[in-house]
Amino acid sequence: MKELRYVITDEVGLHARPAGLLVSTASKFDCRIKIKSGTKEVDGKSILGVMSLALKKGDEMHLIFDGIDEDVACEEIQTFLRENI
Amino acid sequence: MLKRLKGMFGKNEDDGMIILSPIKGEIRDITEVSDITFRDKLLGEGIAIWPETGRVVAPVDGTIATMFITKHACTIVSDQGVEILIHVGLDTVNLKGEYYKSYVKDGDKVKAGDLILEFDMDRIKEAGYDLITPVVICNSATYSKVETITGKKAEELDVIMQIAK
Repeated sequence: MKELRYVITDEVGLHARPAGLLVSTASKFDCRIKIKSGTKEVDGKSILGVMSLALKKGDEMHLIFDGIDEDVACEEIQTFLRENI
Repeated sequence: MLKRLKGMFGKNEDDGMIILSPIKGEIRDITEVSDITFRDKLLGEGIAIWPETGRVVAPVDGTIATMFITKHACTIVSDQGVEILIHVGLDTVNLKGEYYKSYVKDGDKVKAGDLILEFDMDRIKEAGYDLITPVVICNSATYSKVETITGKKAEELDVIMQIAK
C-alpha cells in the first residue's frame, strides 16, 4: 500500500477540469485508489465521488493506493497533482 | 415468454434510460465545446446546450449528489443509477457563485422538472464567460451506448439522450 497527502493550491479548488483529469489519470491503473478528505472517503476513479469532496484551496487530500501498480500510480498522480492542482 | 417476444420486436423498456433536457435551448454535440475536458469526453459522453433561459431543472428523477458551492455545476444520480453532471458555462467556477442561485442541496431527492438552479445569462455573458452548458453522463463507460439527440432546439424535459445498458 502507498499513501500520499496533498494540499490543494489551485485558487478555485478541485473543480470539474482537474477532477476529470485526475480521475482519467487514476483510471489508467489497476490498483484501488481511495481519496480521503476530512471524514469523507471516495473512490478516486469515480468522477462523482471526487467532485463530492468539494475540495477548496488549502484542503488536504489523502490518497491511498493498493494494488499491483501502486508505486507507479502514486508517483504519476503525485506529479499530476503538483502540476495541475 | 412475453418478455422475450417484447425483446425481439423492439427495445425492452427496462433496458433503456432516457435523459431529459434540463434547460431550454439548442442542443449541440459535446465535441463543439472548446474546453478539452468536455470536448475530449474526459468526464464522459453527453451533449452541450446553448441556453435560451437561465433555468436548470432536474433532467431525471433522482438525488442531488453534489451541488457545487459555487453553484455553477451540479451532479445528480438518477433512480436508475445514471450519473449526470450539468456544468453551466465554461470556467464559470471563477465567478465564485455570483449570478447563480441554487434551489437544492446535496442529498435532496428530485423529480424531473424540479427547479435546481437559476443563472443570470446576461451578467455571465457580460463578465466574458461562454455560457455553453455541457450535460455529461459521468459513468457512461458502464453503459453499452449513449445516444444523443443534437442539432435542434429543445424545451425543458424534451428527450436529449437515450442510454442502453
